[in-house]
Amino acid sequence: MGGGGFTMEPDNPVLDDFVLGLAAAREPRILFLPTASGDPAVQIAAFHDRFADRACVATHLSLFRLHGMRRPLREIVLEQDVVYIGGGSMRNLLAIWGAHGLDALLAEAWERGIVLAGLSAGAMCWFEGGITRSSGPPETIAGLGLLPGSLSVHADGEPERLPAYLEAVRTGALPGGWAADDGVGLLFEDTRYMRAVASRPGAGAVRVDALDGELVRARVEPELLGATPAGLPLPGGDVEELRALQRFRRRH
Amino acid sequence: MAQRPPQIVAFGGGGFSMEAGNPLLDDYVLGLAGASRPKVCFLPTASGDADHYIVRFYRRFAAACEASHVSLFRRDRCGQAVEGDIAGHLLAQDLIYVGGGNVVSMLGAWRAHGLDAVLRRAWRKGVVLCGPSAGSLCWFAESLTAFHGEPRRVRGLGLLPFSNCVHYTNEPARRGEYHRFVGDGMRPGFAADDGAALHFRGEELHRAVSSRPHARAYRVEPVDDEVSETPVETEYLGQRVAEPAAA
Repeated sequence: MGGGGFTMEPDNPVLDDFVLGLAAAREPRILFLPTASGDPAVQIAAFHDRFADRACVATHLSLFRLHGMRRPLREIVLEQDVVYIGGGSMRNLLAIWGAHGLDALLAEAWERGIVLAGLSAGAMCWFEGGITRSSGPPETIAGLGLLPGSLSVHADGEPERLPAYLEAVRTGALPGGWAADDGVGLLFEDTRYMRAVASRPGAGAVRVDALDGELVRARVEPELLGATPAGLPLPGGDVEELRALQRFRRRH
Repeated sequence: MAQRPPQIVAFGGGGFSMEAGNPLLDDYVLGLAGASRPKVCFLPTASGDADHYIVRFYRRFAAACEASHVSLFRRDRCGQAVEGDIAGHLLAQDLIYVGGGNVVSMLGAWRAHGLDAVLRRAWRKGVVLCGPSAGSLCWFAESLTAFHGEPRRVRGLGLLPFSNCVHYTNEPARRGEYHRFVGDGMRPGFAADDGAALHFRGEELHRAVSSRPHARAYRVEPVDDEVSETPVETEYLGQRVAEPAAA
């Protein structure tokens, strides 16, 4: 996602629902990694607010604050259906993942078919590279490289990022790729780009490539996600009760 | 400025974040800073730059010091944190105070921003380095962290050629694990209780001090086939009061 989801669109759940819908399980397990922002309580609360009442089992993993937790990271990550990465500092995100060995674990999760999602730093991290503002001014940064090409985010929301991206692609500092607006999600299966979706009208993405030092840009028109998918059963009373219990356990 | 020796004060636990109302360890490190209004910079990286931690730091130090902090997570949004020349700022401090949290995450982020090299230079230059918990472990060659998953061995910045264990007798399982690791080849080192601090000048232990009458520091090393634990004489920084008779 170029931006969007529960941290940026508290009143618009369509991108998050789209992500959840990609998991095959009826009640997918979704794990939130807020590493790139330093695991702030506000972001974690927003995640649980968004997913607590949906048909899923939502948990988060803090690499800063789970003192005393004994379960190995591998076990926690690989039992998920969806892993959702928050935005923030991409430099810190990758460095901290590297220090905990989470980069290799996420690659393994991806190979096993676990859906990987995220916004901003949590979107660019899957590509060969992107444009980060981790140190203030926009600059290129290498990602995990699960997906070929590059990604730049907030193309409409942060005007200083896009020129840096275009220049990086033109000079070959970054391979060609996509610049996505806030509210736009790009879906990849395996390493193949499938389609673009959006949570707001007017938001889009651009495919950017360099041919002999010249930029070639092609607008990508996303499908506007709107009405909730029909036919999904509403959670019954017992499911509600289970969720309330889960929420209670999380808090105590 | 006269040449100051490299100094590190490694807390087993304590200071403003863990001992609200007990100023002894923080006053001790301020006393080493050698300025009437010392420049003190807080590094809250190990907590993910947690806001509440930063607020408590300023509450404790802003009145008596030139207090600042460096955030590695919000560098795109300036706020009141130091921006721009972080290295220059850190090298100009009298005291760098490293907060607790996850030492593995902190070291990863530091290395990504080049702070490992900056802190080494600051130390050589005589900027006093201190902190509790993760803010202690990081200075040593290796340490034991039990923060997440199984206890594990972590390579630190290596300014001090020893191993380190914090919250030592406060978390008995940790003490046992530390002995096991030292027995299995982790280098010899020092352990400290909550409220005890190891003060190094250069690479030598200069003294051990405490903010609580019974908190101690220990030397832990292999001797023959055993791991030996020797208490280090630890000076209580507060006023001693008569012990109440045991009931």
